[in-house]
Amino acid sequence: MRRSGWLLLLVASTSMANIEPETIGTSTMAKPASTWLMVHGALGPAYVFDTATGDMQGLLSLSRFTPAVETRVDAGELYAAESFYSRGPRGERTDLLTIYDMTTLAPVGEVELPQKIAALGFLQYIELLDDQRHVAVYNMTPAASVSLVDVEDREFASEISTPGCALIMGTANRGFLQICGDGSLQLIRVDANGDESQRVRSRKFFSIEDDPVFDKPVQTPEGWLLTSYQGQVFDVTVDGDDINISEPWSLLTDDDKTDSWSPGGGQFIAYHESQDLLFVLVNADGEFSHDSAGSEVWIFDRSAERRIGRLSLEHPGTNLFVSQNDAPLLTVTGDDMQLYVFDVETLTLVRTISEVGWAPGLLQGF
Amino acid sequence: MNITERMLGWLDDTVAHSSRNLARRSSRRRFLGRLGAVLVGASTLPLLPVSRANAEGPKELGDPQSCDYWRYCALGGTLCTCCGGSVTTCPPGAEPSPISWIGTCHNPVDDKDYLISYNDCCGKATCNRCFCHRSERDLPVYSPAKANDILWCFGTESRSYHCTVAIVLGEATT
Repeated sequence: MRRSGWLLLLVASTSMANIEPETIGTSTMAKPASTWLMVHGALGPAYVFDTATGDMQGLLSLSRFTPAVETRVDAGELYAAESFYSRGPRGERTDLLTIYDMTTLAPVGEVELPQKIAALGFLQYIELLDDQRHVAVYNMTPAASVSLVDVEDREFASEISTPGCALIMGTANRGFLQICGDGSLQLIRVDANGDESQRVRSRKFFSIEDDPVFDKPVQTPEGWLLTSYQGQVFDVTVDGDDINISEPWSLLTDDDKTDSWSPGGGQFIAYHESQDLLFVLVNADGEFSHDSAGSEVWIFDRSAERRIGRLSLEHPGTNLFVSQNDAPLLTVTGDDMQLYVFDVETLTLVRTISEVGWAPGLLQGF
Repeated sequence: MNITERMLGWLDDTVAHSSRNLARRSSRRRFLGRLGAVLVGASTLPLLPVSRANAEGPKELGDPQSCDYWRYCALGGTLCTCCGGSVTTCPPGAEPSPISWIGTCHNPVDDKDYLISYNDCCGKATCNRCFCHRSERDLPVYSPAKANDILWCFGTESRSYHCTVAIVLGEATT
């Protein structure tokens, strides 16, 4: 044994003499493209992929309670509400807004938050306001409130109580909308210090018992788009102090309803801005199927308010993401926990991305 | 709670079939009408608009380790019955959340509707066994008392989610 050991060492020494020894380093992440997305695991990390190639670009280590990530590409920063215990599942709790560098994916700043951040994956649990300075974080204890953080000065600004209303949907003039349990919307604005300066309530426009709107709004160029369990679509805009809610149109024809189609899934809707297209996961499972995986994706011309395409899924889909480039790619998380990437123009599958993290959840762009 | 909303999202065919059958037999409005007032917090339990179950509880059939068990009609999470606990007790070392969300489920044995309290068990690592996600009468998070898409470890030493139990509060009454 000893003789063979010397022999191996001799061979290794000989090999080393013939090549330049390699050194270890650390990659940096390129500036994200429109086809990039984050796959946020239910219990922590977010995997970054380019859906145009299928290649992983890096990983964000997030707390297991982080609901979503907010991006500020121009500043090269990502913001995540995080919650930690000092001894894993127990110990002293610390809630933070962590600022991550978009190149190194490393934390470069922390702001301590009230120990109230809402957990589980919802895109609108965190929002960078239009001043590009204040990040709003949704809290639930289960009392509802919103924490404001000044990310320029890296300091906590304020906490605003929002009883009966949830989510944070950014609007102009340092404002955000919320959906309220009485079937209305709430508009809150903050001043330059992040303190509440205005609060307005809309008319009641939906019935929580008959047909609630999903807690998954999508942003449009004009405002926000809300969808109800039964497929009614509302456009919401803010004009000064007024919250305007359109008359609804329906994703579903009478025949669709007869066949029990309805929207559903964890992240059931996505919007392509320049082509004004809506992508909606639908299932034919009938009542109480708002969380069920979709067997098809329906594509709608939003301004024409009509369906223009159907995509049947081999693996029912739970989450959707559409890239915002001119040749959009639609990514669907299948119930087998793989990502299926489709070319929108041809509705053909272009690639499958596997091993996207344990319990893949929200899909987010940059 | 729905800690694994996406990881759970994956109802097996049996569960989906069972849910649809139950949904077909049930009127959404009827159930919502019966659900009545907002129900949050164990401290409010004496005020619930229910008649308490009798001492023996309802007659039941089914496997409490299966997602299609009748009590789990609005449960999102991991079943404590698969994690060393029972349908009404947290596994060893886990702390029951005193605050819960409420579902209304139909018991096929006696053909009655019951109010079910889904309490999360907290303070330990996620059990990760017997994932279950059903959404009968589940509402969005802006109506939290009836929403299962919320981590319901509130009022506990730690918010770390372990699993969920399903406790019969009583027969649902109009």
